Amino acid sequence: MANMADVLLDLRNVRAGYGDSVVLDDLSLEVKEGESLAVLGRNGMGKSTLFLTIMGFTRLTGGSVSWRGEDITRLASHRRARLGLGWVAQEREIFPSLSVEENLIVMARPGPWNLKSAFELFPRLAERRRAMGNQLSGGEQQMLAIARSLMINPSLLLLDEPLEGLAPIIVEELAASIGRMATEHGTTIVLIEQHADVALSLTRKAVVLERGAIVHRAASEDLLADSKTLDRYLGLKLEVI
Amino acid sequence: MLGSMAGILFDGFAYGMLLFLLSVGLSVTLGMMNFINLSHASFGMLGGYVTVTLMQQLGWPFLATLPAAFVISALVGMVMERFMFRRMYRATDLDQTLLTIGVVFMSIAGAAYIWGTVQQPVVMPDYLSGSFLVGGVNIARYRLFLIVVALVITLLMIGGLEWTRFGAQIRAAVDNQRMARGLGLDVDRTFSLTFSLGSGLAGLGGALAIAMVGLDPGFAFAYLIYVLIVVSVGGLASIWGSFVAASLLGICDMAGKYYVPQLGSFLIYLMMVGILMWRPVGLFGKR
Ligand SMILES: Nc1ncnc2c1ncn2[C@@H]1O[C@H](COP(=O)(O)OP(=O)(O)O)[C@@H](O)[C@H]1O
Ligand SMILES: [Mg+2]
Repeated sequence: MANMADVLLDLRNVRAGYGDSVVLDDLSLEVKEGESLAVLGRNGMGKSTLFLTIMGFTRLTGGSVSWRGEDITRLASHRRARLGLGWVAQEREIFPSLSVEENLIVMARPGPWNLKSAFELFPRLAERRRAMGNQLSGGEQQMLAIARSLMINPSLLLLDEPLEGLAPIIVEELAASIGRMATEHGTTIVLIEQHADVALSLTRKAVVLERGAIVHRAASEDLLADSKTLDRYLGLKLEVI
Repeated sequence: MLGSMAGILFDGFAYGMLLFLLSVGLSVTLGMMNFINLSHASFGMLGGYVTVTLMQQLGWPFLATLPAAFVISALVGMVMERFMFRRMYRATDLDQTLLTIGVVFMSIAGAAYIWGTVQQPVVMPDYLSGSFLVGGVNIARYRLFLIVVALVITLLMIGGLEWTRFGAQIRAAVDNQRMARGLGLDVDRTFSLTFSLGSGLAGLGGALAIAMVGLDPGFAFAYLIYVLIVVSVGGLASIWGSFVAASLLGICDMAGKYYVPQLGSFLIYLMMVGILMWRPVGLFGKR
């Protein structure tokens, strides 16, 4: 039996979407403290919508969301962030009129993550600290988006396709950083990723989304070896890594 | 000739500083929440009447009424934002326009009811009256005072926006509200404070305006036009843009009335159309 106190985030029978359109239907998901979870699925299956729903940015019409056993279904987004939910948006959404350093400290909260540790994780950001948000390369923006969310010292980090559109060398570097966040810092991570192989090697558990519902749950290790399931839901044959 | 040109520049700049104080708040809140607050100049008018009332009824010295004009306009702004405007952020532009233009009419009727439709006389203290000559240019003390006050406030605001965490939070909310919320910013509260500050500054502008342009209930409309020109020419959410636009507007208006009086105020509209055709987002606007 799982200890209730260990459950950070609990979605039960959630139905949510935009305006009148329902994207997630009857979705249930549990994330425990210290866990790392990969969310896989083809484009348009509702992965980003899942994160937006957790953050309170979609229209929720059924089910409930709780945080450490407390109902947050109707809680304002900024309060969820203050409770410890960190969100890295798919589009990065760096503040263009803030410098790199300002992006990092504008909403920072006390904890192990501070400017120093963020710059240690991403030395490139230290070099660019005075640059404005709109002067960064794609890779730099991605690092900044992750570091900015870490600066609020979240208990749970939602990462939406952090490796998308980056050069292979940066993908490696970022993947290693994400791995370190999970293992060394014990940050609980939920990772949406198109590169299923990378996502599965960085996480312990995985779920597959299809048309707004979870259609498969597995240990990442097992799913990585299960090319039949991967092929069925993601339509990709994994090369041997 | 040169002397009169310098004099017009000086007077126009002083007038521009007045317009700057009256409009800068609207530029920031419009950029932040996309809320079309046509009643912004009404807060300026309120500040003017606060100063007039305190001086006439309670015998306060002019300088002491200025902080009061700021504070009362800021508080009224905060209350109206909380209970009326906040409900309208998601409404259409037309609904916002109709609501706030309604507030303008109410403020005009209210002012006329309480204070009458006459021009309010104020007597400036001696040290702010009269003028002196510098290199052949006639410098009115009061206008110099206006310029100094506006410059100090500009520096404070730019410094506050650029160098404080609260300023960075305002910029973040202007850039991307959803992300700011997602990181834990209480955007509603930030906006409420910003709105309140902007209303307070308008109130201060209104109080300072009386000695230069007078005060009657028509103020809320007359200056609405100027405020909108400053905001559109300067660009949204840009303090520096508002500053430059207000200076230009003040100087053009003065120069126009002096050199081509038959055109009247027409020159400033020409200027606005010209600048907006060249840069549709305004001089310093980003969108
Ligand atoms: N802002 C929005 N308004 C309306 N529909 C949206 C919006 N964002 C996404 N959708 C729709 O929701 C569905 C799921 O999208 P999304 O969650 O972004 O998928 P994924 O992240 O898995 O690629 C898609 O059909 C998409 O068209
Ligand atoms: Mg997505």
